[in-house]
Amino acid sequence: MKEEMIKTDVLCIGGGIAGLMAAIRASELGANVVVAEKGNARYSGRGRAGNDHFWCYIPEVHGPDMGSFMKECLKGPKLRIMQAGTSMKVMRTFMERSFEIVKLWDSWGIPMKHDGRWEFAGHSFPGDVLTHLKYQGRDQKRVLTEKALEKGVKIINRVMVSDLLRDGDRIIGAVGVHAREDKVVVFQAGSTIVATGIADRLYPSPVPGWMASTPNCLTLTGDGRTMAYRAGGMIVGPESPKRHMGPRYFGRFGQATWIGVLRDPHDKPVGPYVTKPNRTYGDMTMEVKSGILEDYLKSGRGPVYMDCRGITPEDYDYMMSAFVDEGLSSLIDYMKEEGIDLRKNPVEFGTYHINPEGKVWINEKAETSLKGLYAAGDESIVSIGPAATYGWIAGENAAAAAKNGPAVDVEKARAEIEEKKNVVREIASRKEGADWREANVALQQIMQDYAGLVRSETLLTAGLDYVRRLRDKARRSLKARNRWELTRSLETLNLLDLGELVFMAANERKETRALHTRSDYPLTDPMLDGKALYVWKENGVPTFEWRKTE
Amino acid sequence: MPPIIDDTKCVQCGLCVDVCAEDVYYDSKPGETPVVTYPDVCFHCNCCVKECPSQAIRLRIPLPLTLLYKEGNRDIV
Repeated sequence: MKEEMIKTDVLCIGGGIAGLMAAIRASELGANVVVAEKGNARYSGRGRAGNDHFWCYIPEVHGPDMGSFMKECLKGPKLRIMQAGTSMKVMRTFMERSFEIVKLWDSWGIPMKHDGRWEFAGHSFPGDVLTHLKYQGRDQKRVLTEKALEKGVKIINRVMVSDLLRDGDRIIGAVGVHAREDKVVVFQAGSTIVATGIADRLYPSPVPGWMASTPNCLTLTGDGRTMAYRAGGMIVGPESPKRHMGPRYFGRFGQATWIGVLRDPHDKPVGPYVTKPNRTYGDMTMEVKSGILEDYLKSGRGPVYMDCRGITPEDYDYMMSAFVDEGLSSLIDYMKEEGIDLRKNPVEFGTYHINPEGKVWINEKAETSLKGLYAAGDESIVSIGPAATYGWIAGENAAAAAKNGPAVDVEKARAEIEEKKNVVREIASRKEGADWREANVALQQIMQDYAGLVRSETLLTAGLDYVRRLRDKARRSLKARNRWELTRSLETLNLLDLGELVFMAANERKETRALHTRSDYPLTDPMLDGKALYVWKENGVPTFEWRKTE
Repeated sequence: MPPIIDDTKCVQCGLCVDVCAEDVYYDSKPGETPVVTYPDVCFHCNCCVKECPSQAIRLRIPLPLTLLYKEGNRDIV
């Protein structure tokens, strides 16, 4: 098997918003930087087709009291769930630097202003502080990719990094497979940044039997967090589920971009926030409780519609343009083909599947608990504003550490590299066995039934046994007929590790909180307020600890 | 199945093959009209549609992903 060796100062695993920001900054500061991207950095990650909301703090808009602003932001349940386990210090650092990043993006050609001013809209309650900058991100990945190349970053596409490499307690690089050519790629790096994004494909998508009905890109399988966990890194809160919401059955992001009212079949608003389309607030009902859409359906009171009727012509144009910025142009094309006019046709909205929240723990320097390893983006602090800001911060610190830190030699991890090659060889050479989809679907049904919407010790214990058996079987029987299937197989093996983590952590959280519902512990334990569950492997044994998130 | 390439417009530039995150066009040969090898993992991001210099690609949204909507012949009560 061919092996390619790449040596660099800073390795960014993942070429999404965070990965590219980290690469740009590290390169600017004089480091040699390589981005290893599973797909093509130009169009990868959750930001691939664009976004239109950037959470940030702008003193001239929000006033000088950043602390108050932060408290107000975290009132909303959606943001609170998303940021569960993130320390206040990390949050504050993000906020302090967010405006710097906004201005940077604007100067690079990602329009952050609307009509020459900072326009805030979406993700906020009527009458409350406005938290998200409305921007035009349709070309953001092109801008960031070109900026990275301009700064001398080496972007290597079609390489899936699958394991971090260690020398003692330090991360010295990573090993991965080329997703098209028959070769393994070994990276040696003074500093490594994981920025592989959100974890999807762990639970069945809203459409049975059609994995691609998710609003997430199918290759976002939380590789970074499972790699970090296997290498001994600390993961926070894998037990906390979150569920997104949006159009049915065409799963998409961008619910906050819709300018309408959520109504029941009798046109009665489902929530208390708006009675007619409002371009500043959208309808926050579904952010307060994403499950409300499913509740209506299951109780027979549904369906629930996102109703844009009554929208002004200006707001309609504004919304349609924002859809493109948010990456929803395929939805626009589809609606045109089908003759769906949002000014006349209410569109059904539904609650989507579970994504596990679990993040790689970072401090305010984007350092993880492992020497030589940083994390940024959805990997460690969710949402575009924090992703871009922490990518930048990770790049800064990773570059400095690579310059001043000890020399690394990736040959110290030769045994692990050879082991990885054996795994790849086995999967690629099996004549009979399970394909990746079998293993992925088998995992999804276990997750849904045993670590799903209602959990209990008996279900979680049974599920943990089942997932371990499945993982064992998958390791011994996965087969791939080509590099594409090999990449999907390695992703599925990562998901099996993540599933195990979710089961163990869910069992530790003996209470009901947010979307984690325990039938055997129905109360929310005030003793766990302000705390998060930290998990890591101590000498190979999963270890749990409750820590305050301050 | 998504995506659909119009052979008469395709200039065989391979950009769509380059940009797809899911590598839906895996195994396409340079200089030839791309093959849609893995249509059912297409997640309908429109990136290949946008990138194509001759607008040769369109997505056919599969039936299970149908958008559900209400006929709108009346105003809100």
